[in-house]
Amino acid sequence: MDPAEVEFLAEKEMVKIIPNFSLDKIYLIGGDLGPFNPGLPVEVPVWLALNLKQRQKCRIVPPEWMDTDKLEEIREQERKLDTFTPIPSLYYMELTKLLLNHSADNIPKADEIRTLVKDIWDTRVAKLRLSADSFISQQEAHAQLDNLTLMEINTTRSFLLDSLNYMYKLRSNLQPGRSQDY
Amino acid sequence: MPCERKPMRYGHSEGHTDVCFDDEGKCIVTCGSDGDVRIWESLDDDDPKSINVGEKVYSVALKNGKLVTAVSNNTVQIHTFPEGDPDGILTRFTTNANHVTFNSSGSRVAAGSSDFIVKIVEVVDSSQQKTLRGHDAPILSVALDPSDEFLASSSCDGSVTVWSIESQTQVAQWKIIQKSSDVSNAKSLCRLAWQPHSGKLLAVPVDLTVQLYDKNTWTHVSTLSDDLITQVVNVVVWSPCGKFLAAGTVGGNLLIWDVEAKLCIERQKHEKGFTVCGMAWHPSGVRIAYTDTEGCLGLLEGVSSSSPSSSSTVQSTKATAAKEKNDYDDLFDEDDDRMLDEGMSDSRSPVKKPVMEEDDDDDLMPATGRPRNRGSFLDDDDNSQDAGSVKLDGVPEEDGSSAILPAVGPAVSRPVYEGPMPTQPQRAFQPGSTPVHLMHRFMVWNSVGIVRGYNDDQDNAIDVEFHDTAVHHAMHLTNTLGHTMADLSQEAVLLACEGTDELASKIQCLHFSCWDTHKDWIVDLPKGEDVRALCLGQGWAAVATSALMVRLFSIGGVQKEIFSLPGAAVCMAGHGEQLLIVYHRGTGFDGDQALGVQLLQLGSKRRQVIHGEPLPLSRKSYLAWLGFTAEGTPCCIDSEGVVRMLNRTLGNTWTPVCNTRDSCKSRSDHYWVVGVHENPQQLRCIPCKGSRFPPTLPRPAVAVLPFNLPYCQTTTEKGQMEEQYWRSMLFHNHFGFLSSSGYEIDSEGQSQAEKEQQELLMKMFALSCKLEREFRCVELAEMMTHSVVTLAIRYASRSRRMALAQRLSELALEKANQFQEEELEEEEPTYQRGSRQMSSRQAQVENGCEEEEEDYPQEEQMDAEESTETRKPSLNPIKKGGKSPERPSPKPMSREGRVNPFKVSGAGKSSSSPAGQPRTTNVLDSMTVSSRKPTPLGGTSKQGKAPVLKPLAPKPKSKTQATLLQMSASKGSSKKLENSQTEAEKVKPAPAATPPASVENVENRKPKTGFQLWLEENRKSILADNPDFEEMDVIKEGMGRFRTLSAEERLNWTEKAKGDSDPKKRKREDEGQVNEQMESDEGSAKKKKPLDTSAKLSAFAFNKE
Repeated sequence: MDPAEVEFLAEKEMVKIIPNFSLDKIYLIGGDLGPFNPGLPVEVPVWLALNLKQRQKCRIVPPEWMDTDKLEEIREQERKLDTFTPIPSLYYMELTKLLLNHSADNIPKADEIRTLVKDIWDTRVAKLRLSADSFISQQEAHAQLDNLTLMEINTTRSFLLDSLNYMYKLRSNLQPGRSQDY
Repeated sequence: MPCERKPMRYGHSEGHTDVCFDDEGKCIVTCGSDGDVRIWESLDDDDPKSINVGEKVYSVALKNGKLVTAVSNNTVQIHTFPEGDPDGILTRFTTNANHVTFNSSGSRVAAGSSDFIVKIVEVVDSSQQKTLRGHDAPILSVALDPSDEFLASSSCDGSVTVWSIESQTQVAQWKIIQKSSDVSNAKSLCRLAWQPHSGKLLAVPVDLTVQLYDKNTWTHVSTLSDDLITQVVNVVVWSPCGKFLAAGTVGGNLLIWDVEAKLCIERQKHEKGFTVCGMAWHPSGVRIAYTDTEGCLGLLEGVSSSSPSSSSTVQSTKATAAKEKNDYDDLFDEDDDRMLDEGMSDSRSPVKKPVMEEDDDDDLMPATGRPRNRGSFLDDDDNSQDAGSVKLDGVPEEDGSSAILPAVGPAVSRPVYEGPMPTQPQRAFQPGSTPVHLMHRFMVWNSVGIVRGYNDDQDNAIDVEFHDTAVHHAMHLTNTLGHTMADLSQEAVLLACEGTDELASKIQCLHFSCWDTHKDWIVDLPKGEDVRALCLGQGWAAVATSALMVRLFSIGGVQKEIFSLPGAAVCMAGHGEQLLIVYHRGTGFDGDQALGVQLLQLGSKRRQVIHGEPLPLSRKSYLAWLGFTAEGTPCCIDSEGVVRMLNRTLGNTWTPVCNTRDSCKSRSDHYWVVGVHENPQQLRCIPCKGSRFPPTLPRPAVAVLPFNLPYCQTTTEKGQMEEQYWRSMLFHNHFGFLSSSGYEIDSEGQSQAEKEQQELLMKMFALSCKLEREFRCVELAEMMTHSVVTLAIRYASRSRRMALAQRLSELALEKANQFQEEELEEEEPTYQRGSRQMSSRQAQVENGCEEEEEDYPQEEQMDAEESTETRKPSLNPIKKGGKSPERPSPKPMSREGRVNPFKVSGAGKSSSSPAGQPRTTNVLDSMTVSSRKPTPLGGTSKQGKAPVLKPLAPKPKSKTQATLLQMSASKGSSKKLENSQTEAEKVKPAPAATPPASVENVENRKPKTGFQLWLEENRKSILADNPDFEEMDVIKEGMGRFRTLSAEERLNWTEKAKGDSDPKKRKREDEGQVNEQMESDEGSAKKKKPLDTSAKLSAFAFNKE
């Protein structure tokens, strides 16, 4: 899976915008959106929010968790614990990137948020690599990791699966008689 | 002793706080764990001055314009007061100081730190320090005695020590407090306090008591305690006179003792029971400020009525009359200045101001009484003046003054007014603006856009921004004239400034929708006349001035009518052609405002709708917002957060529709309203944490609150439905108003609303039926439209309430009569109305009013209009056919009779095609059909039936009724058609089971079908197989099983059912279908009816979904 695809999936997340135009309800396959009243917050998918923002038709209200205090708390939590902490949004990385790239002017302390989210991401991915490492080194048959997001799984999936495959092949070649257990 | 506990307000973020007064007692100074020191002019100061002094502030002390704080960076800093500029670092510790305090003269500061050290520093020369070492744990508190001889300190090591400052040695030590490892673990803050002036006693909070130690002997002399104290005493403070001692406890108790008498004279409880961690006594002794560990600030008012500060003043007045006079003049002067200051800063809360000033000042007169009495006082005897003013203060004169009073003649002759005090009239304001004194403020925020004013060092500018950028692009103007008022509409921005000595008050209008090149105009008001309030309507502007006048202008700048107001304007609002003015009707008393309201209709039909009637407000509140809903109904909001809306159908009364404070989380939170919408029902407002209005940055987000009428018992179903019903009624009043004032209305929305209301009525009816409240049922039915009454009759008769059904049918008849009369009268005007609407629509389009948007509803309206007209002739013959309303009217019935029963279920769906359908077969159909007309028409077509209906009154099986209700409750069935058939089928046996009254009815009985007979036989077995089946399921299952029977068997059942019938029917039966067609085949109009009703009922059940 491509990161772009994950990002595409993230674009269906809802976000609040404050439109500066007036439009009745619009009926889309994914559901009804609107009505849009100028000045009144309304929930729309990220893809629409970004589109409107690019056309300067709205201001984006950052999601509640996109706040330095909350993110700092999460970061501390993430650093403290060995397991993955629950993240306020399954698409935190994608949303941060999308929203900060396109509407940084509507988000207070955009730079700090970017750093914080990157920190959280790094911590989590490091944990993920660590657990993958111990998974392989201890030759476990299965493992459970909670609270992972799609993007995080995506970063490690192809590499992990391929390497497991190779290891399996190598092992079965080494011990042709006992190819069943690895 | 009268002592009033003022409500707490948010001061700092959670954590340790401290509080003190400035030397004059004008300001309260607080510090908190957020690192800020705030200077409050009063408890109601919405905009306290904040000084950031560090990351956390542990303690604050203030004297002689020096603000000393113990900060988390281990320093004790000085700031100037009230400017708040840093003035250097007084001393440093290796860890943070826990308590700082001044000596009585303000020359020295003592600080106790967590590094076990106490330091005494000269304020002017911080190099002169004395260090006291000897404690074995962090210092909790320090106190310098008034003679500057000793210092007392308490520490976590469990000791309270008295030091000689000069020799830096311990003089006395008592191990009386609990030991702890750190300040954060200490049970009590153990704030020590020396008695002021003499310094004879040292108060030490010990556990649940306060112990007093004598300075001369260093012995324990007495203990103050009270039963109320259940938790450790945290803080003690002496009154400035030294007679009283106040204490605050961990459990939130506040107590005051008379020390000599050892009497607890005041017991108060913190409103939430939080720990009191800071206390300060006002220099005048009349009040105590306290703070808690949640960061809130509170006040105890009128604490020491018998405090020597007032009595000593009395004595001094007696002694030196000449000096007295001067003093008083000083006081007055000072007061006058302060009045202005406060007026500027606190103009939005005039109600509380008098109270504040009264206690703020050392003078003995209430602010409100001052201007009136001053002259006479000064040439009067001083004593009487004093005595009188003591009384005016609401302070019972106990000591000095009571003794003086009898001796003075004039005092007795002058009756002292003790009645209700007049309220300071609230200042004029612009709805949706934030206070004028702010540097960055909203000049107006309404449904069109936002006007912001900036008035700081670099810039004096106005930003205009539109919610809908289609109206106009954002504007940035330099505010050279110093405008303070603004209003914004779709057409223009109106700005105004008050006049100065040289310049007249000006009105500036930026008419951006103007099509020529001159987009703005400026008008000067006559000299001495100032703009107080202004508003914009559609094509006009209005300005209320200090000369009690309202001036109307056209939007292009033509001066139009002027008229006088009965009182000073408070604010104005405009919408379309309506102008709403609120002014002072008179003087309010005891915190209430006396406001009057005028509503004028400008434009073509000029008239006054509300003639200066009093505007209802909550007790002790003032007007906070005034305006119109987007639909044009006047609305007002008071400072208590109650939103009131004009109810035009009840003689222009005001109905409370929402209390924004109900949605607030904390007491000091408010909602700042920016708009009210009736359709959809939305109250748009900005949540403000800890204030009444939002800051301009960060840009506040709008939230939407629902409306909630304060009806009784809204926890019950009945109460809820009543509230919903009346809310719906109220919020759809605007349809009536708009159509009567010639606007085109959204007929779809209106019929939707009507349908909603009727459904609510029907639900309430069903509920009362269930509760066997038949009288109530009739009352409800009286509110229903005719067509729904017939439905109610059916419901009543099906739930076997014959008496009720009887009464209802009488009612229905009455309604029908009434309606027909109206109908005849209305015949002519209808066409006129149509044409007028057409013309007004054009006007509408030009004006671009908000209510009617988009093209397609208009077209729909047109359709509806046309269909009304085409329908009319088709119906008229019927009407003429039967002149009397009671005619049995066979014609319409037979007409209905010919309707294909299968169409019935289709009719339920056909709400999407409102036009056509001259004969509305479905009751609710007539409600879904758009426009006002069809509903009555539907009623007319049926009215003839009412009398016939009466004797019918079929008794259903109770099961049928139950299913009916279930059906109506159930959601979205996909098999609509099938269900409706089965439903109809179920209903069908009902009439058969009821043999009351007329012969005609006996004929009406329907023979049972074979399937029904079979089902009756087999019901039990089905139920036995599937015990949890609902009635519907049983029938479905039954149908399935019936189909599996062999053809012969089925035939047998059918034969059984009807004995002799023609083979045609049998065929249909064989199909397993519900045989409704059979009825119509038989072709009797009379027979048709019961079927028809059942079909309607079933259709209703679906429509309700």
